Amino acid sequence: MSPRPPSIRDKRRYLLVQIFPRCLRPDQKDLYLAVQDAVTSLWGDAASARIQMAVVAGTYGYGIIRCLRGTESQLATAISTVTTISGQLACIRSCALSGTIAALQRRGIPPPACLPSPLDAEAAFDGRTFAIQCRDGEKVDLIEKGFKTQELLFLTEQEIEVI
Amino acid sequence: MQTDASVHPYPAGNSSLRRIALEAGELGFDSIVAVEIPRQILGGIQVLSGVIIKELQIKDVIAAVKKKERSSDVIFVNAGDNSFNRAVLTLSGVHVLRHIHKTHRSSFDHVTARIASERQIALDIDIYPLVHLRGVHRQRTLRWYEDLVRLRKHYPFPLTISSNAHSVLDLRSPRELINLCALFGMSPEDVESALSALDRLISPQRPVEEVS
Repeated sequence: MSPRPPSIRDKRRYLLVQIFPRCLRPDQKDLYLAVQDAVTSLWGDAASARIQMAVVAGTYGYGIIRCLRGTESQLATAISTVTTISGQLACIRSCALSGTIAALQRRGIPPPACLPSPLDAEAAFDGRTFAIQCRDGEKVDLIEKGFKTQELLFLTEQEIEVI
Repeated sequence: MQTDASVHPYPAGNSSLRRIALEAGELGFDSIVAVEIPRQILGGIQVLSGVIIKELQIKDVIAAVKKKERSSDVIFVNAGDNSFNRAVLTLSGVHVLRHIHKTHRSSFDHVTARIASERQIALDIDIYPLVHLRGVHRQRTLRWYEDLVRLRKHYPFPLTISSNAHSVLDLRSPRELINLCALFGMSPEDVESALSALDRLISPQRPVEEVS
């Protein structure tokens, strides 16, 4: 199939999103399923078809989501109702909007070296032991080390005692 | 000053107050109201002390308001039926009537709206059900909020917006709140006004009094 001439192609917009918690690194498919579920649930099938949502890139806690021009605010609203990605608590925050992927990549995504990575360290908080999932500046994400519960906690450096 | 009208830090939620304040600051808030936490300033964010009164009888609400009035900055009361709401709206010391979307549709009518407008007691728009609920429950909440916005055009009572966050993942930025509130017909100007309404509620403008 030959590509359409530019004058009759759909005009698209690309949304750069950041995925939280930072330790969660879903693949493109999981991100797509979470956003598609939110879009369909909020706007219904007809509007979802008009939005033409697609995840075009997803890496290191960031993603680039495509939509049809004029539907970007609908997509951004739906994105803010995402609460889980592949069954894990999460939220997605939109960072930037552009007409091309290259422009988003130029201004938005930090290089991998700047990103937090999972650590093999433990910390004590409130009399319990947690594994440090992720450190990002002052922020620390912990997950409880236990058989029965694996509670996720969001704290800061000053509140934990690293073991 | 943009304020998130209620957050629930650890142990009620899974995020510490310092972390919530840090994230709220990054999202663009100037202050937050933390439930059952003393007033303080953390990382440049003003943390106001809030208390939620969940009593079902009005005499219990009066007693609780008297007890908590001095120790907290913002007093929220959970809404009930129409007569309960009317009685709450006439109490001094109450700042915000919350969880109105959990009550029957008749619990907040034009009479209660007029009382809220005269007494300048705010109604809380809780974003949590819009984000977390799906299907008919979210539709019901949207209908409720749409009705509130319509009543507010006739009786300009204050509104507050709260994420009701138990986790940093539940916090939403002012820009996201504008998008979410547009779902039930609230304009961006109204959202901005609602985000800064708590300042006016806590320290209302009163006529000048001659002291001597």
